[in-house]
Amino acid sequence: MKRAFLLGLAAVLVALALYPMQATGYGVRTMLQLFMWIALAQSWNLISGLTGYVSFGHVAFFGMGAYSAGILIGKLGWAWPAACLAGGVMAMVLALVIGWPCLRLKGPYFAIAMLGLNEVLRVIVSYYEGLTGGGNGLSLPTLHASVPIYYAMGLVAIAVTALTYLVITSRFGLRLMTIREDEVAAEAMGIDTFRHKLYAFLLSAVGPGIVGGLAARDQGYIEPLSVFPLITTITMIVMALFGGKGTIWGPVLGAVVLFTFQELVWARFIYLHQLLFGAIIVAVVLMMPRGILGVLQQKYNLPRTI
Amino acid sequence: MPPILEVRGVVKRFGGVAAVNGVSLGLEPGRIYGLIGPNGSGKTTLFNCITGVDQCDEGEIWFKGRRVERLKPHQIFHLGLGRTFQVIRVFPELTALENLLVVTTTDYAAAGRRAQELLALVKLERLAGEFAGNLSYGQQKLVEFIRVLMTDPEMILLDEPAAGVNRTLLNELLDAVRGLRDRGKTVLLVEHDMKVVMGLCETVFVLDHGEKLAEGAPGVIQADERVIEAYFGR
Repeated sequence: MKRAFLLGLAAVLVALALYPMQATGYGVRTMLQLFMWIALAQSWNLISGLTGYVSFGHVAFFGMGAYSAGILIGKLGWAWPAACLAGGVMAMVLALVIGWPCLRLKGPYFAIAMLGLNEVLRVIVSYYEGLTGGGNGLSLPTLHASVPIYYAMGLVAIAVTALTYLVITSRFGLRLMTIREDEVAAEAMGIDTFRHKLYAFLLSAVGPGIVGGLAARDQGYIEPLSVFPLITTITMIVMALFGGKGTIWGPVLGAVVLFTFQELVWARFIYLHQLLFGAIIVAVVLMMPRGILGVLQQKYNLPRTI
Repeated sequence: MPPILEVRGVVKRFGGVAAVNGVSLGLEPGRIYGLIGPNGSGKTTLFNCITGVDQCDEGEIWFKGRRVERLKPHQIFHLGLGRTFQVIRVFPELTALENLLVVTTTDYAAAGRRAQELLALVKLERLAGEFAGNLSYGQQKLVEFIRVLMTDPEMILLDEPAAGVNRTLLNELLDAVRGLRDRGKTVLLVEHDMKVVMGLCETVFVLDHGEKLAEGAPGVIQADERVIEAYFGR
């Protein structure tokens, strides 16, 4: 079973690695977005799926990465791979600054603080026109690099999933789950909950930061509204919930299913698609709050490492 | 012998109510202490102050010669002061084994061996892989009890260990507590079951309305007019 799974996984990875050789530009950019969603949903899972601290502002790290990389590329002439990694670092710095006060808040208060953070960042970016271009946005020099960005996005998606695997199979991961289960008891059992939450938060910020930089480079133009939209946070949350939060493969599954669904339906029914998306959210929350893998896990007593 | 735990004039208010009002206790190492009192007399609040779950408003708490009343719960735990809760607080979606593993800081293999030993001690080794939330009430109680023993703390606070536990299980639990005492550990327990308190404890503190009403050997406490009055009315 495990062997078959690993073989299948290897086959998928090889196929994806070869894909750009015969794909259209549209195909490459579509897959690149899928990788982006996997990385985003998986990153959200690291903090919210494991500790239960729901981040409603995770797109803030995406935007931070996009603007950091955009400025480094556009104004300082950095090469995009270095700029995107720097975007990841800047997202972690932001996570440290925000997490330090906000992770002391409990449950819903943290969620609301994160929502506010995203709005504040958007306003700040709009305000400092000299650096960010303000509401006019920031244009990057023209570059045709969809294929390298495809591989870079893919690597980030793999890296974040591998990171999730390492976390969930470690004692650190178990401790993050104790925070979700009962934070008071975790603290009383000698677990430094604040420090654990902060580490998880930092880990969950780096992926969106890098991915934000890559998306900025791919699109060639960013503006506050396009990199800080609430819907991006909601989409990554829904993907993680749909697949199964707190699992390794749930966010990947959720991203693949919902992104494919979106691409298929969106092309045909531009309004109906939002309605259907809303319906999926409601159905998941009501009928299987643990997501697809969560349900399978319980029903067939599967290990946590799925 | 110098006290392992010393509570000096601790006050904890919730709004205008002083749940604990100037309580002082001294506990010597290697003994079993009981803390009794009617509902709402401040027993659990005092526990919370000692373990850092609540911060006391006034007073000092000394554990092993260190002031601890401003420390975080996890810091106090690592000084060697563990506790259980009145309402069970196992981690339901972690297995019984994982519930134990998360507590230690020693290497994973050693923690695993220790956890298996403790599970065997309370005859739960068969259920090690079961989610704690699926265990029965009594079994969860046992998991919570051995969880606190993972780091071999020097002092253990037990909040109503007997509540909801059947007689057979209870006797095993009480034997385990005596075993801890015999190995030099200090135990302080809150308990409503007077038989348990009187049979187990060497010294009993009585709280009433947040104040210490009496302190002494079980026999003396049982005969104390004020204690009888606090429990049964005049």
